[in-house]
Order: sequence, then C-alpha cells, then structure tokens
Amino acid sequence: MNWQNYQLEKAVLKTAENAVLWRTGKGQMEISKGSLAIAIKLGDEKRGYIFHGNGRLILDTIVETREGAIGKPVEKEISAPFIMLGAVEENFTAANQEDLEKMGYEDQEAALTNATELLSRFSRGRRIHEHHCCGANDGQIFAFPSANGKFDLLVANDHSIVYKTEGLVFVTNRERSVLKSSGETVCVANGRMVVVRRHGDFRPQNLQKNAPERTGI
Amino acid sequence: MSEDIKEEMKKLREEIAGLKKELGELTENQSRRRRGIYIDVGNHVRDYMEDAMEGVAEGISGELRKSIFIGPRGVRIIRGTESDEEEEKEINFEKTATVMSALGHAHRIKILKDLMTGGKYVNELEEKLSEITTSTLLSHLKTLEEAGLVVQEKVRGRYLITIPGRSAYKMAVKVTRFPEGREEE
Repeated sequence: MNWQNYQLEKAVLKTAENAVLWRTGKGQMEISKGSLAIAIKLGDEKRGYIFHGNGRLILDTIVETREGAIGKPVEKEISAPFIMLGAVEENFTAANQEDLEKMGYEDQEAALTNATELLSRFSRGRRIHEHHCCGANDGQIFAFPSANGKFDLLVANDHSIVYKTEGLVFVTNRERSVLKSSGETVCVANGRMVVVRRHGDFRPQNLQKNAPERTGI
Repeated sequence: MSEDIKEEMKKLREEIAGLKKELGELTENQSRRRRGIYIDVGNHVRDYMEDAMEGVAEGISGELRKSIFIGPRGVRIIRGTESDEEEEKEINFEKTATVMSALGHAHRIKILKDLMTGGKYVNELEEKLSEITTSTLLSHLKTLEEAGLVVQEKVRGRYLITIPGRSAYKMAVKVTRFPEGREEE
C-alpha cells in the first residue's frame, strides 16, 4: 500500500526541553520547553509533529550583492499550532491536564480534534505516496497557519530554503537566491543580479558580474 | 536712320526682357498659390528665425546645465532621464533627514567604509574602530540600521551594508570631495 493519509497519534506529548527543530546559517526554528506535540504518522512511521506552544522562527531573508544587501530578517513568535514534517530529536514526555489547559484545551480530545482539523486543512484530504514524503535526511517542511486561512510555508534542508508568506517569497541555495517582496523581485544567480520592479521597471543594471559573497547556509 | 532703328530695337528687346521676367514671377507665384505653399512673410522671416534660434539655444543650454557638471576635477556628464519634478515628488523628507543624520558622525562613516568590502561581525568592526567602546559601536550600528543603511543577520550576527547604505556612503564621499577641490583652486 503506497498511497496513504497522514494520521495522528492518539497521545499528546510535551517537549521536555527547549528544542531547535531546524537550524542553518540562514535561519532557525525553536520550540520552548512544555510545548504540546502530537506525532504525525504515515502508515506505521512517524513523519513529523504538530506543535503547540511557544515557537520562534528566525530567517535571514536577505540577498547579498556587490551593490549591497537587500531584504530584512524575519523574526516571528509562533504561538498557534503548526505542522512540522521531517526528523526531530525525540525528547518528549506525556502531557498532563495542566499542560493542556495552559494551551487552552479542556482535555486531550480537544487538542487532538484541533490538530486533526489543522492537518486536514494542510493535506486537503490528499493521500501521500511514500516516495513523495521526505525521509529522515531530506530536510523539513513547516506549515504555519496564517491569518487569511492559508499557510506560511518553510521548506528547508542543509543547503536550500524556500519560504513563502504573505507578500514575501524567499528561495535560496548555495548558488542562487530569489527574493520577491511586494515592490520588487531580486534574482541573483551565477554571480548575476536582476531586479524587476513593479510597473514593469526592469533593471538589468546588474547583469555584469555581481556575485554575492559565498556564504553557504 | 538705321541707327534710330537699332536704338528702337534695343529698347524693345529690353522691354520684352522685363516683361518676360515679370511674367515668370507671376507664373511662379500663381503656381505656389495652387500648391498651397505660398506664404508672404516679408520681413517677418528674419524675426521668426531669430526667435526660433533663441528658443533652441535656451533649450540646449538648459539641457547642458542639467547633464554636465563642471567641478574642480573636470567635466562630468550625467546620464539620466528623470526630471527634477519627478525627483521632487518622490522625496520623503523624514526619511531623508534620518539618513542624513545617520551619516552625521565620523565613526558611522568609518563603519560604512569597512562594510563596503563585505559583511562583518562586531568583533571585526571593533578591530578597525579600536578608539571607541563596544557599546558606542553598537549604538552607531543601531543608528545605521534604523536608517536602513545596514542590516544585521539574526542568525550569524553579521552586519551588511544595504544598497541605500552603499549609495549614501558614496554620496557623502563625493560631496565632501567637492569643496576640498574648490579650496585647492
């Protein structure tokens, strides 16, 4: 059976320590001690967690060029439940009633219902092929519910990042970067930069060699 | 007798030549009228041409004033299409004042100069600015960051000069070079 739906574990856990869920030179995602965690499974295998607690996302959505840096860092406190698919260090204990109430749930069932609804909105009922899902070393996918009922998405591995939120798209790897904000889109690839501004103002000023510093991620 | 006749003939030829000339001019004028291009401008031609040339000359000298800058170090041709009017519309006075204020300290200019060569950590900047304390350095960096001239990476902590920061630094250097050059003259 290759096509399956994501399922949730029936147990609600909590993080035993502050934990870093993902970290590279460009960004990191942290979750504080005592945050609720419900495992996501595909078949019999754990594929990720739904966390609810005090999370913090830091992402340097900055593109470097020889003409200067463009963009600003993103810093977000994540207090709403969010989805993380990918490997995580297992350091959990069972959540008790007090832990659940801190997050606004009457009981475990309420937490599971809320998590199921979130997962259903994310997967939109689609079944997942085993080969489509990330393995332990393939990086992580984070989905943060946003105000408009959609998700802010962060897809990251050791050398690439894709981040999409309202009014901002940031894609980068070791060689190339794209930063699309509401006013302009900046593309840096193979040492060349192009800026496209709104109202069709195309600025290939920088089609000369304009390599950003090799920073890695 | 023959002499009289010769004289008469000469006068007649002259009259015929005059009449032919007048006929030719009349024919030409009629022809121009038919083609619709006959304009009787008389002496106005000279006045018209003088006015036109004056206007063209003023236009050319105006363009030259806008596009050629004659400074102490020679002539510089400025290429650009934005008019002064368009530039004025885009001025954000508050932001301009914030940027100019951020440039108003020698140490902040030095910081920008150091960042022109690439991103730097605080300890790297401290080495270059050993005459000030770390807290003063951080305060300067905060001022530059608030003005949008530098940006700090939150993960690694490096400071980077932004595109406006690079432009502001270059502008400051150019502005200060100009009066120095004039003094030398």
